[in-house]
Amino acid sequence: MSVDKANAKNMSESQRLQNLSEDELSVELVSSDITAFLFVEISRRYQQQIYYHCRNLLLSHDDADDAAQNTFIKVWQNANQFKGESRLRTWVYRIATNESINLIRKRKPTIDFDEAQPEMADMITEDLYLSGDDIALKLQKALCYLPFKQKLVFTLRYFEDLSYSEIAVLTSTSEGALKASYHHAVKKLEIYLSVLR
Amino acid sequence: MDLENEKIGPAYNAPDSYFKESESRLLQRLGIDINSPEAAAPKIEAIKPVEVLMKVDTSGIQKRARKQDPLTSKSVGVDKDVDSVGKVEIAPLTFTTNENPEWVNFSAISEETTGLSGSLNITKVTYGDLLNPVAESIQIESVESEIAKIETIEEVVLETEVSEPQEEFVVESIIEDESKTPESIIIHEVPESVGLDELESYIAPINAQKAPMVEEIIVEEEPQTINLDAPPTAFAPIAGRQKESATPGWLGIAASLAAIVAAYFIWNAIQPPKAEEAMATELQQDEPTLIESPLDEPISPKDTIPDGLQLVEPLLTGEMPKYKEPNVYTIIDAKEMPPRTKRALEDLEDNGLATFDMEDEMFEELDFESL
Repeated sequence: MSVDKANAKNMSESQRLQNLSEDELSVELVSSDITAFLFVEISRRYQQQIYYHCRNLLLSHDDADDAAQNTFIKVWQNANQFKGESRLRTWVYRIATNESINLIRKRKPTIDFDEAQPEMADMITEDLYLSGDDIALKLQKALCYLPFKQKLVFTLRYFEDLSYSEIAVLTSTSEGALKASYHHAVKKLEIYLSVLR
Repeated sequence: MDLENEKIGPAYNAPDSYFKESESRLLQRLGIDINSPEAAAPKIEAIKPVEVLMKVDTSGIQKRARKQDPLTSKSVGVDKDVDSVGKVEIAPLTFTTNENPEWVNFSAISEETTGLSGSLNITKVTYGDLLNPVAESIQIESVESEIAKIETIEEVVLETEVSEPQEEFVVESIIEDESKTPESIIIHEVPESVGLDELESYIAPINAQKAPMVEEIIVEEEPQTINLDAPPTAFAPIAGRQKESATPGWLGIAASLAAIVAAYFIWNAIQPPKAEEAMATELQQDEPTLIESPLDEPISPKDTIPDGLQLVEPLLTGEMPKYKEPNVYTIIDAKEMPPRTKRALEDLEDNGLATFDMEDEMFEELDFESL
């Protein structure tokens, strides 16, 4: 009987967290220590977004998987450091971006993030879980011709639909610089897409 | 193409099974069991990653540690738990032969045994003593003579000359009575030249009458007291000497000279090149620009170019290097060019092998500022 009661209590707790909005989830995380149920709810809510975000930056499935796993491990370990001053999604995205950058540095210690990495374009078509959309693959290849910062801003804005204010918090950059950077990225990509056939 | 108006979807599409597997893998790495009753508990420290749970227990190493004073040879236990209670004194190590059976630290023997508040008699017996034990043996007694324990240790060293190069030891301890005489040690020293047969002939009577002979030696010999305050000497060999090195002395001198010569060449090789200013200063000192000449000597034009003007000599004599036309190529259809070709052209330009003039000016309208 006690086991059944515990299971019923767990189910109700899980159900309650699923019905919370993102802001309510943030309040829940700030007001009390993280529980296993709260962590599972956060990971389920952002798992796919974080994976695709890491995949857009890293291109490789294995690297994206590693970065996403490390992201949620850090969420679990540092949950008490979340103060609620930004959206919960922004906080998780920032951790994921840092993990991706760390992984890139580990793979290529001499990388210059101000330079494009066009040689990475060839590895896109040889990996797992591709959508099969040709124009989407061309866009991913064109992204390799952008400097990392422009690529990051474009990815967050175009694919993840983050607002400029969120990206500004995430990248510690002013919104004006972000808008200019995004504009340059879009212009370059349009040219590259017309060249890449 | 207008990216803003024509929304392009993501290029990746992972199945739900991957995300479920990824979630279970994540929970496993963190040690979270969502079905356990503790899953709703807000105590995050109770559940930690596997890496944190793996902790090395070093308590056993700490408890076994012993600290030995090199001067007094006394051992003191090192244990954090016990030290918090108070200082713990561990009894000194009892006398024993060294781990290397060829050596005995005589200074360590006296220091160790004095820690027992007793005395030690050490009797050193040479091979000559073995043949005539009463006349040549040496007995050593310390100041204190009353001790409750008698321990007689005999060490007989046998060195075989036939096949085995190592020394053979026979160490026997005989405890006779715990209340009579002070502690005695008899050490028999045997030179390398003594054969096995001679030693066996000696050991036989010792084995037959071991105790009386020891007592006889102790009684009849004039005792020699070991000064415990004397500085500890080096380990004294009981049997045999270490063989001297076969390397001749001149080889060491030659090696030293070779090292000095090598160091000289290495030092010259690693010296930084002289700075341009220093070289210019040297040139000015070597070749003064103002040539001192007597005033009465007439100055006449010369056909040859004076020294120091070698650099401009080709200009003066009209020998100019041939001008090389740059490789400039005009490309009209840069927009139509495949990316690999474009990259190859960029490499050529970067290496200074060619210059390409893009007629369509595809990149000039963009500003390449980064964030």
